[in-house]
Amino acid sequence: MKRQIAYFLVIFIGFLALAGHFINYPPLNNFIDNDATQWFDIISGFAAFLGVINLLQLHLNKISNKRKNYQYSFITLLGFMAMIVFGFIYNGSEAAMGPHLKDEGSAFYWMFQNIYLPLGATMFALLAFFVASASYRAFKIRNFEATLLLVSGIFLMLGRVPIGQLIPWWMAVEIYICLFFAVIANRFSDRKIMLYCLTSSMLVLPALILYFDISNLPIFKIPDLQEWIMDVPATAGSRAIMIGIALGTIAQSYRIITGRERSILGD
Amino acid sequence: MILIFYYLFLGSFFLEGNETTFICILLLCFVVEYFIDIAKSGVEIYMRPIAAIKAMEEAVGRATEMGTPVLYVPGISSLDQIDTISGLTILGHVAGMTAEYEANLHVPVCVPIVMETAKETCKEAYLKKGRPDLYRNDMVHYVTDDQFAYAAGVNGIMLREKPAAVFFQGKFYAESLILAETGNSIGAIQIAGTGSSSQIPFFVTACDYTLIGEEFYAASAYLSGSPEMLGSIKGQDYVKVCCMVAIIVVFVSSLLNGLNIIDFDITSLFRTNAIK
Repeated sequence: MKRQIAYFLVIFIGFLALAGHFINYPPLNNFIDNDATQWFDIISGFAAFLGVINLLQLHLNKISNKRKNYQYSFITLLGFMAMIVFGFIYNGSEAAMGPHLKDEGSAFYWMFQNIYLPLGATMFALLAFFVASASYRAFKIRNFEATLLLVSGIFLMLGRVPIGQLIPWWMAVEIYICLFFAVIANRFSDRKIMLYCLTSSMLVLPALILYFDISNLPIFKIPDLQEWIMDVPATAGSRAIMIGIALGTIAQSYRIITGRERSILGD
Repeated sequence: MILIFYYLFLGSFFLEGNETTFICILLLCFVVEYFIDIAKSGVEIYMRPIAAIKAMEEAVGRATEMGTPVLYVPGISSLDQIDTISGLTILGHVAGMTAEYEANLHVPVCVPIVMETAKETCKEAYLKKGRPDLYRNDMVHYVTDDQFAYAAGVNGIMLREKPAAVFFQGKFYAESLILAETGNSIGAIQIAGTGSSSQIPFFVTACDYTLIGEEFYAASAYLSGSPEMLGSIKGQDYVKVCCMVAIIVVFVSSLLNGLNIIDFDITSLFRTNAIK
C-alpha cells in the first residue's frame, strides 16, 4: 500500500508538471513555476536535518566502535561543532545574531573566508594537475583517434595562447606537412625516399603558396584553425550528444511518470 | 485527435508558443508506447550491446573477489535533476548485484534528500533479492553539500578503502575529473554515466567505461531486461532516426532557401517560447 501511494504521487505530480507547461490555466502554471519548486525547497530544507543527523550518527558510531580510521571522525566532528558554535552561540562582532554570518568582523565570517574558501580553492586547484595527467593518458599515441585528439589538442593550445598569433603562415604549412608525413610514414618502404619527399615538400609547398598568393587563407593561421575546430567538429559532436541526452531525458521521464520505471523505488 | 484538439483550443485552453515542444513530446511518447506494445506482444527486440552496462556485473564480481567495497557516487545534484534520478535507478540495480554477490556497497551522498531516496532504493533492492540481513543503515551516508568538500570526502574514502569498483552515475560538474582520476590512481574499475555533456570527455579519459548521453538514461531499462522497458529504448532509437532525417531535411531546405531557390525558411517552424 505504501509503495502504491508513492507510485500514485509520482504519476500524478509528473503529469501535473507536464500539463503546467502546455495548459493555459494560470493557477496551474503558477503552481508549477512557483509553488511546486517552493515545496521542493521546503522538503529539501527538512531533509538537511536528516543529513546532519546521519553525519553525526555515522561518525559517533565510528568513534564508539573504534572502527578503522576513526581518528578522522574526530576532525569532522570538531569542524562541525566549531561551525555550530560560531553560527549559533558565539558571535565575535557587534552585528546581531543571524546577520553576523555576513558581517566581516564575526568569527563565523572569518572561518568561512580563511578556512572554508581556501580549502575549496585548494581542491579546485588540484584540477589543474588532474587535467595534466588525464591529458597525458588521452594524448598518448595508441591509435588513429588518439593521434587525431593529440593533433587537435596541440592546435587548440597553440591557437589560444599569445604565441599562436605570432606563428607565421609558412611555419603552419611546415607543421601540416610534418603531420601529413607522420600519418603516411608507414607507407614508405625506404626511409631515404621519405626524407627526400618530406624535404622537397617542405621547400616546394611554401614556394607554391607564395607564388599563388594564398598565404592569407585562414587555414594557415593557427588561431583561425582552432576557432574552426571549436565551431565546427567540436560543436557538431557536442550537439549530437545533446540531442541524444534530450531524447533520453524525455523517454526516461515518460517511463517514470507512466509508472514503468520503478527501480528508484527498489522494484 | 489530441493534435486537433490542441490546435482548436490553442490560445484559450493551451498555451501559445509551445507547439513544437508539444508535438515533439507527443510524437516521442507515441513511438515509445507503440514499441512497448510491440515488445509486450512477444516480438523479440534486439538491443545493441553496451560495454559499460555489461561491465557493471563484472565490476561488482571483481570487488567481491577482492574483498573490497563497491563505491557508488550518485553525483552532486538534487532530485530535481533527471540525471540524479537516473543515477538512483541504476543504483537500484547495482545494489541488487551487491546483494546477490554479498559485496559491500558504499554510497556517499552530497544532498540529504538524495540520501533518503538512495537509502530506500538500496533497502528495497536488498529486500527484493531476499537479503535484507546484508543491508546496513550506514551503507548510504551523507558527506556534505559543498561540491569540493564532497570531492575531498569521496577521494578520502577511495584512498582509504581502495574499492575495486567505482560507479559515477549522476550529475557531475568540475569535480568529475578529480574523482575519476583518484579512482584511476587506485586501480579501480570505473564505470561512469552522466548527462552533463561537458563532463563526458573527462570520464571517457579517466574511466574504463562511460555511458554517453542517452545510454545513461537507457541503462536502467537495459538492466531490467523487461520487454516493456526494452521496447521503450527501441522507440527512443527510432525517434533518433527521425531526428537525423529532420536534420538532413532542415539542412537541405535551409541551403535551398539560402540560395533563393525556395522562399520558405524552415527554421521558423522550430521557434519556441524560449527563443521568442
